[in-house]
Amino acid sequence: MANYFNTLPLREQLAQLGKCEFMDPAEFTDGVTYLKGKKLVVIGCGSQGLNQGLNLRDSGLDVSYALREAAIKDQRQSWKNATENGFTVGTPEELIPGADLVLNLTPDKQHSGVVAGVVPLMKKDACLAYSHGFNIVEEGMQVRPDITVIMVAPKCPGTEVREEYKRGFGVPTLIAVHEDNDPHGDGLAIAKAYAAGTGGHKAGVLMSSFIAEVKSDLMGEQTILCGMLQTGSLLCFDKMVEKGIEPGYAAKLVQIGWETITEALKHGGITNMMDRLSNPAKIKAFELSEELKVIMRPLYNKHMDDIMAGRFSAGMMEDWANDDAKLLGWRKETGETAFEKTENTETDIAEQEYFDHGILMVAMVRAGVELAFETMTAAGIKEESAYYESLHETPLIANTIARKKLYEMNATISDTAEYGCYLYNHACLPLLSDFMTQIDTDVIGRGLQLPDSGVDNQQLIEVNSTVRSHPVESIGATLRGYMSAMKRIN
Amino acid sequence: MRASNGFKGTVFKEACIRFNESFSLVDINWMLEPGQVWAIMGASGSGKSALAAALTGAGKLSSGTVEGIVANAGVVSLESQAALIERERLRDDSDITDKVSQGTATREMLNEVSKDPELLAKLIKLFRLEALLDRGFRKLSSGETRKVLFTRALTSKPDMLIVDGPFEGLDTQTVPAVDDLLKQVSTEIPMLLVINRFDELPQFVTHIALLERGHLKTTVETSDKTAMDLTSQLLHLKTTGIKIPGADPGNPLPPLDPAEPLVYIRDASVRYTDNLVFEHLDWRIETGQHWQLTGPNGSGKTSLLNLITGDHPQCYNNDIFVFGYQRGNGESIWDIKQHIGYVSSSLHWDYRVSINCKNVIISGFYDSIGLYTKATDSQIEIAMQWLQILGFQDRAGQAFNQFSYGDQRLLLIARAMVKHPHLLILDEPCFGLDDMSRQLVLALIEKICAGSESTVIYVNHHAQDQIEGIDNYLALTH
Repeated sequence: MANYFNTLPLREQLAQLGKCEFMDPAEFTDGVTYLKGKKLVVIGCGSQGLNQGLNLRDSGLDVSYALREAAIKDQRQSWKNATENGFTVGTPEELIPGADLVLNLTPDKQHSGVVAGVVPLMKKDACLAYSHGFNIVEEGMQVRPDITVIMVAPKCPGTEVREEYKRGFGVPTLIAVHEDNDPHGDGLAIAKAYAAGTGGHKAGVLMSSFIAEVKSDLMGEQTILCGMLQTGSLLCFDKMVEKGIEPGYAAKLVQIGWETITEALKHGGITNMMDRLSNPAKIKAFELSEELKVIMRPLYNKHMDDIMAGRFSAGMMEDWANDDAKLLGWRKETGETAFEKTENTETDIAEQEYFDHGILMVAMVRAGVELAFETMTAAGIKEESAYYESLHETPLIANTIARKKLYEMNATISDTAEYGCYLYNHACLPLLSDFMTQIDTDVIGRGLQLPDSGVDNQQLIEVNSTVRSHPVESIGATLRGYMSAMKRIN
Repeated sequence: MRASNGFKGTVFKEACIRFNESFSLVDINWMLEPGQVWAIMGASGSGKSALAAALTGAGKLSSGTVEGIVANAGVVSLESQAALIERERLRDDSDITDKVSQGTATREMLNEVSKDPELLAKLIKLFRLEALLDRGFRKLSSGETRKVLFTRALTSKPDMLIVDGPFEGLDTQTVPAVDDLLKQVSTEIPMLLVINRFDELPQFVTHIALLERGHLKTTVETSDKTAMDLTSQLLHLKTTGIKIPGADPGNPLPPLDPAEPLVYIRDASVRYTDNLVFEHLDWRIETGQHWQLTGPNGSGKTSLLNLITGDHPQCYNNDIFVFGYQRGNGESIWDIKQHIGYVSSSLHWDYRVSINCKNVIISGFYDSIGLYTKATDSQIEIAMQWLQILGFQDRAGQAFNQFSYGDQRLLLIARAMVKHPHLLILDEPCFGLDDMSRQLVLALIEKICAGSESTVIYVNHHAQDQIEGIDNYLALTH
């Protein structure tokens, strides 16, 4: 199979990359009607698979689960999950031939095998849905031409997809139709009904393409989301210990710090995150992040270029073929870092202290988010996609680190994200070594501790205006506005 | 035997203790001595739980002094129950692993704190927890969770046992056992109880602290008969002349066919791979026929109700007819919920969104947790009438999570009633309510039963909380 993106002419590549728009809620007034009475069969009963299935059924759709014969016979966990929730369960041979819509909700890595096994069983003119397009775009999977291929990707973990639905709301969702496989022209109608069935239409749906989703997703996860947070964790922790800060405190400041800082990001973008700092600290964070952006920009460009050219996925698939030798080696390495092995202090750290003592971390988040966003949009990806794959997801990964530190975070995110994260980390650590020599505990560990927090008015105005006028802030405000207009009614 | 422990007494001197923006304890003067058994009483929101928590060092002392804070207390309360449930929710890594989590087993929950294997074995037997040990803690019913909490607190060898609402959520079989147990424990471990209902005040309590809006109003020795009578009167305020606000004239509920039963469940069962909750259950509810549902903790009351509301996933593989829909034929869960008003402990725990108290009531029109639709003027007007009845008219804009548990429960009851649903399901509505609020809620339920719009299903453990107008009973057994 050849990389699908690389087979397209430039004109088509650009057109696909540039797809992503917020859909008008009025487009969803028909709800799930288009799928009423159709047979939906889910493959994969993990958290996404189970919770999406529960939502779709509660929306009035007919949902069952195809599990491997061994899983049914041994009554494995996936079988228990499906049957205890009252779903019909059968083997692919039993269920797929009757399915109008097959939902592939297995992990990325299994897609080739799953799809190759399932498609021959599918009836003519049925529809196959993905929640991530790697298999189509990077692996170049070709699906039988009579089959419609769509993507519906809720931008939140499965448990949250369910929780928000039960509240009467939903999570933001990205949908796409694979244009090479839309034989009846109703791919979009199916995707919309599916998104409505999961509740996504209440929180906002983005119409995108397989290509835009894959390229932006890969870029976001390996740079700002996982890569920057991993590199930042290691550098900040080691620096604090080197400068004599108690290791238990340093470990906690870093581990919980990302989550605390990016919570501010979630609510009000970079602007609000920076506003949580005192004026002198904000100016300091601004200066550091400007410097970081200059140093790291070539690395962000390289990641984007490798993703666009297909070099990243080719390299990773080589490692898949080699039993994940590199991936597992790197994972082990992460587990042995000092940050990972240090126990957190029991002492409480106040919420504001994470900002005041973590100025460098704030700078790293700003630099990483802005660089990822700028690099993606420069490569032709729409601002909406770039926002979701950078700023929007950073708090979600930070939350994982807060619970699990790096080793576990890496073991639990997708293997694709993890592989890219290590590539970034290995390149970024040496890149920042000079920069780190000038760093002291005033920006990481102890805070500025100034007797007077006065600043120059003109300088503050300039800093504020630069932060606020960045394009990620305006698109962010718009997209968060859609969400909160629907969510918070007062 | 008097167990050796660290409690030497606690003294509050003019202590002002801040808990959040809207609540502080003010000028507390209070002395607890070893050998006394205290009960804190007062209306919902008066600060009972806060005062108990202050004893363990919670809150921020802004003036005055507190000496002898009890660091190692065993706490049984709605808050500690919610905290444990929340901890389990956070431990659920299925959002990042994409695996569906089974949660921590009950056995592990008990072993992680127990310092007394002998007592642990005894309590497991007393609370009949044997069969639950291998089940995930999150799968337990609210009454069962409560028993686990008791066991954890008692076996952790605390310096003091603090029990906030000792009998809340326990079935009638368990109440006397817990009363006996506490009585026995009170001779061994210093004990502080928070009591919501005067009729639940255990005999062995020696002192009562009466709170009112953050102030310690008075302390009473239970041996002082005259003072006790006065306290009882104070706590039994009368509730008369309530008028229930009307339904929303702008959005009438879709009418139902009066010839059909409201609910018709045939040969229903709820089972998990390792556990049968119930089977062969039939239940037919006609319009206007009010029911009381009883049964011990874990007998499946909530599961049964959730088959009706659609919140239990096994409603799809049972024969269930509700509000004109035979379940599993393309109807959505919202088609069902529009006919139901519902309040239960699990709803209370699920109601974790940032929202003000007026909108909590309005969310009842939309069956949502949180409010995602713009309310109409008439809905706002109705919500304000409800707030008036509850005495919260001045707090309409205040955040829901700043209300005490009991006050939150009152708001959720109003939310359940606000649209005058065809079926009103009240699953232990009075859980955690003080006497006055309970009287109010019972009066409201009686009014609703007397009206013609809503049919009521009522679950409770308290024999005293009988409701006039309810004359059908369904009893579940183990």
